[in-house]
Amino acid sequence: MTGGSPPCTTVAILGGGKGGTALLDLLSRLPGVRVAGVADKDPTAPALRHARDQDIPATDNALDLIANHGINLIIDVTGDPGMAGFIEKHKGPEVEVLGGAAARLLWNLIQRESQLQAQLFQSEKLAGIGSFAAGIAHDINNPLHLILGYAETILEERDVSTIHAHTQEIIHAVHRISPICKDLTQYARRTSEGRLVDVDLNSKLEEALKIARYATVLQDLSVIKDYTTQATIKGKPEELLHAFVNLITNAIQAMEGNGTLKLTTRCQDGLVAVSVADSGCGIPRERLEQIFEPFFTTKAPGKGTGLGLYNVRSIMSRHRGKISVESEVGRGTTFRLQFPQAHVQT
Amino acid sequence: MSDVFFGAETGNGRVLVTDDEPDVRKLVRMVLTKAGYDVVEAEDGAKAIEVLNTGENRLMLDVIICDIRMPKVNGMEAIAYFRKEYPRVPLIVLTGFPDTDMATSLLRQGVTDYLVKPVEAEKLRASVAKAMEMRELSRL
Repeated sequence: MTGGSPPCTTVAILGGGKGGTALLDLLSRLPGVRVAGVADKDPTAPALRHARDQDIPATDNALDLIANHGINLIIDVTGDPGMAGFIEKHKGPEVEVLGGAAARLLWNLIQRESQLQAQLFQSEKLAGIGSFAAGIAHDINNPLHLILGYAETILEERDVSTIHAHTQEIIHAVHRISPICKDLTQYARRTSEGRLVDVDLNSKLEEALKIARYATVLQDLSVIKDYTTQATIKGKPEELLHAFVNLITNAIQAMEGNGTLKLTTRCQDGLVAVSVADSGCGIPRERLEQIFEPFFTTKAPGKGTGLGLYNVRSIMSRHRGKISVESEVGRGTTFRLQFPQAHVQT
Repeated sequence: MSDVFFGAETGNGRVLVTDDEPDVRKLVRMVLTKAGYDVVEAEDGAKAIEVLNTGENRLMLDVIICDIRMPKVNGMEAIAYFRKEYPRVPLIVLTGFPDTDMATSLLRQGVTDYLVKPVEAEKLRASVAKAMEMRELSRL
């Protein structure tokens, strides 16, 4: 399902500051574009770190990059007036250069694009939480009922030890509600800007399951978990959680809350494979190509943003992963994800 | 099938409380027992149907209280079953799930009351009392 024609634009980014970082971020996600490397004379420049996190060559020697034979475009966001001449002197004859005012304009456009995308990304996540509202209300209303009931009983009670027992029940009920609120507000947070960290995918799947359960009113879901150890990758925990919540919610909704959900993790040859399988209605063959497109949805108006899988795919590509899907109408659907495994310290 | 109003013999009547949460069942039992009702419990729709069809319950259950969101036979299916097999036994839905569309649809199907948790003890007792009256009238 994934892969495509080889990239046609191979880019070298000169300048590792904010501009270089923004360019790296967006260009590395664009189909048809490959970032050959990032250079900055300051070895601690932020873009160099981000590049290394994504296994993109980073160097403090611009000449190495400029003279690279594989590139066909150099983008200069160093802000150094002498750089244009330096590039001209050392680049290959066929290589195009984007610098000066043109590079600054590109950077501004990219910043805006990046802000809009982040906004849309966050909106899709929050819209998803809206669809859990009834499930969340149910889970909070039950403990509230206990709190109210025991409080009312205490008002009519004179025996101290009975009052104590009822009070314990109230405290117990409060402890049931607080994790729900905590899980949700944590999920609703924006993605952190920080570096990639080690993420255990088994526990992320568990977290996602807790949240995605709110998508169903009915409780006839059976969940099979088949986890392997060492399913750790480098990534952003909130984004991975978001991706898993989307996939599991889709699975639950496809089964209308009734059926079998299977979550699997496996490690092999330096890759971690995750699969989310449901026994739901399935996706017709002719739709399989479209499901990742933005704004494609089969849900009723107001019920789905059409961005869930689009965002899952963006998250996968930001994590240098791949996603594929198999489905049979009436039998179910399986999404398969693949990530490079983190080198875990032993 | 003869239709006995259990309440006539034991005082205020027998209530079946169906909820998958044992804490909720315990509280509802406490609230209703204080009002003189006899309480029988079930943890899901399947168990509720089994209890209904067992021994003296078959003829002597006066009111059913039921949640919607339960495992195995879920509340909606159980409710449909109760309305079909025991149409004279009033049914009160007591749920944490606040859905007005569902409430309207269930009330149209003949459910006596749709209560959304948290519910005050007085309100629950009043709802059961009203259902008991209906139960007595249904025999006439």
